[in-house]
Amino acid sequence: QEGFKKVGRVEEDSPCPFPGLASGVLEMRVKEGSKIRNLMGFAMARMQGGIVAGLRQVIFTGSGRAVTKTITCAEIMKRKVGCLHQMTKLRYKVVKEVWESNQGAASEMTVHRTVPSISILLSKDPLDPQEPGYQPPEALSALWEDRAGTEPSAQTTYKRPLGQLPCS
Amino acid sequence: MTEPRNPGMSSVPQSNPSHTESSSQAVEMDPVEYTLRKRLPRKLPKRRNDVYVNMKTDFRAQLARCQKLLDGGGHREICVHGLGLAINRAINIALQLQASSQGALQLAANTSTVELIDDLEPEDPDEAGEPMTRTRNNSAIHIKVFYPDPQ
Repeated sequence: QEGFKKVGRVEEDSPCPFPGLASGVLEMRVKEGSKIRNLMGFAMARMQGGIVAGLRQVIFTGSGRAVTKTITCAEIMKRKVGCLHQMTKLRYKVVKEVWESNQGAASEMTVHRTVPSISILLSKDPLDPQEPGYQPPEALSALWEDRAGTEPSAQTTYKRPLGQLPCS
Repeated sequence: MTEPRNPGMSSVPQSNPSHTESSSQAVEMDPVEYTLRKRLPRKLPKRRNDVYVNMKTDFRAQLARCQKLLDGGGHREICVHGLGLAINRAINIALQLQASSQGALQLAANTSTVELIDDLEPEDPDEAGEPMTRTRNNSAIHIKVFYPDPQ
C-alpha cells in the first residue's frame, strides 16, 4: 500500500484455547518488538517464586511475526525451570489494521488480516497426555546448566552430562 | 492467502566483513576479519510422512505436497517440521490443511530447540586469525497433522 500509514491495530480477542484451566494463570503476550530478556525476567521471577510459593502455570501467546519469539521464550523457560509439562495450540487470529492515507486525503482503510497464532502452556503440574499438543518434560533437565541468566545464543559450546533427573 | 513478508531477520548475514564479538562484560571488535559461514543443521531422519518446510520453495508447492501425502499417499498422519523463520510457514501449512479438510484433521504441535553451528574463517589468510566456531540455538516446531482415530 503506497501513501498509507498504519495508524492503529486491534487484535480480536478469541477464547482461551486451554479448557479447564485454573484461574490466576499468568498470560505472557509476546509481541514482535518484545525483548526476550524483559519477558523472561518477568516470567521467571514469578515461576521460580519469591515470597509467595510461585506460579504453577504460565501461558506464552503470540501471533504473526511474534510466533518464533513465543516459542523461543517457552524453550528458554523449559530449559531453566526443568520438569515442565507443555501444551501447544495453534490457530488463526484475525487482526484488524487501520491504515490512514498520509497524503492529506483523510481516507481510511481497515484491513482484516488472518495470521497464525500460537499458545504455549507450561505447567509444573501434569497435563492430560492424550490431548493433542501435549509434550512431556525432558529427562535431561536444565539443572546442570548455568542459571545466571545465560542468553540463548551463548557462544560457548557446552556439553550436557548424561544422567536422568527425576521429575516428580 | 498471502503471507506477510518478514524483512528483518535476527540472524547474522552470510558474509560479514567485520564481526563484533559480544560477551557479557564488554563489546570487543575483532582485530581479524571473519567470513561467516553457517553450517547446515544436523541431518535429521526422514520418514515417508515427514515434511520439512523451508523459505526457498514456493508456499503453494509445499502445501500441495503435504496435501498429496495425506490424500494419495494413504498416510493417516504426516509431520510438518519448521526451523526458525520457517516456523510461521509450517504453522500456516498445517492450519491450511486443517481448514481444507473441513475439520476432519487434527493438529498436535511440539516445539524443540536446535543447535546451529557457524564456522568463522579469517578473511585474510595472512592475518593471524584461526578458524572458530560459534554455536547458537534456534527454535523448531514439529506439527503432527492426523486423522483422529474413530471412537
